[in-house]
Amino acid sequence: MSVAQELREARVLVVGIGGLGCPTAIALARAGVGTLGIADDDEVDLSNLHRQILFDDADVGRPKVPAAAAALARLAPEVRVERHATRLLPSNAVELVSGYDLVVEGSDNFATKFLTADACAIARRPVVHAAAVRWHGTALAVGPEGGPCYRCLFEDVPLENAPNCAEAGVIGPVVGVVAAAQADLALSMLEGRASGGGPAGELFTFDGKSLAVRRRRIPRRKDCPLCGDGPRIRDIEPKRYVEGIACPDRKETTWTPS
Amino acid sequence: MDTIVRIPAALRTLTGGADEVKASGKTVGEVIEDLERRHPGLKDRLLDEKGVRRFINIYVGEEDVRFTGGLATELKAGDQISIIPAIAGG
Repeated sequence: MSVAQELREARVLVVGIGGLGCPTAIALARAGVGTLGIADDDEVDLSNLHRQILFDDADVGRPKVPAAAAALARLAPEVRVERHATRLLPSNAVELVSGYDLVVEGSDNFATKFLTADACAIARRPVVHAAAVRWHGTALAVGPEGGPCYRCLFEDVPLENAPNCAEAGVIGPVVGVVAAAQADLALSMLEGRASGGGPAGELFTFDGKSLAVRRRRIPRRKDCPLCGDGPRIRDIEPKRYVEGIACPDRKETTWTPS
Repeated sequence: MDTIVRIPAALRTLTGGADEVKASGKTVGEVIEDLERRHPGLKDRLLDEKGVRRFINIYVGEEDVRFTGGLATELKAGDQISIIPAIAGG
C-alpha cells in the first residue's frame, strides 16, 4: 500500500482542539489522513484566537468541536471528521482511543494528559503528547507497545504546583512550532517509521526564546507504573486523575512575553 | 568547578530571565544547593523531601539523573545540566 493510501485509511483522534490541536489537525488533514476524531468539550473564547487557528471571531462562544469540524471541511474537504463533544474522561477514554489508530494529545491539564497516556497504553494505541506554556514546548511520541511512555518521563499527576502554573500563558508561535512537531511525529508514526530508530521514545523540546530545539532519547523506567516490569496501572481508576490542586489559580493569559 | 545549568522558561523569573546560569559543585545535589544560594527559591521548585520532584526531570548532558544516581550523580568538567518540567497547555 502506498503512503498516501495508508494515510487515507488512517484514523487519528485529536484530544483537545486548542492551540496544539488546531494546527496539528490541519496538518494531518492536509497530509491526507482520512479520518480525524476530535474530542473537546470547550467553547471558543476570544483569548483563544491568537493560536487556535481553526477559529475566528464569528466562532467565539460556539462549541469548539462543530466549529473545528466546519473549518476543517472548508480547508480539507476530503477528510472525514468524527465529532466527540466531550473531554476524555475516565469513563470513556479507553473506548474512545480504541476506535483510532493513533492519538494526538495537546490538552491543557495534567489529568487529561495522564489519562490519555494510560488509556492508550491499555488499548495499545500509539500516542503523541505535546504541550506548550509560554516559551517552552515539548512533544513525545509513544509507540503502541507502551514504553518508554509519558509516565517514564513524568511519573504522576502533580499534586503540588507545577512550575508553570502561576505564569501560565501561551505564545502563539511557540504553540505553532510544537504543533508542527507533533504532527510530524504523528505522520512518522503512521508511516511505520517508528519501528527501528523512529521517533517513539524521543523527547522533543523547544525553547521559544533561543529557538533551540533538542531531542533526547528517554529510557523506559523499570519501575514505571504503566510500562515498567511490574506495571500497576491496568485499568482506569477515576481517582488517579484528580488534578484538583495542581493549578489552583490558573488563569489563561495570552500575549504576555517577558 | 562551574557547571552550566539550562533554566526552562517557567523558572526564569528566579534567574532574572537568564536561560543559562552557572553553579558549582561536584554533584548534581551540590550544584542545586549552589543554585539556591545564587537564585533563592529555585531549589524548592526542583526538589521535595524525597528528592527530585516527580514532574521535574534533570538531565546531565543527555542522561536523566534518575538513572545515574540522582542527586549524587557526579559531574565532570564541561557537563551541562538541563531542567525539564512537566507542562500542560497549548
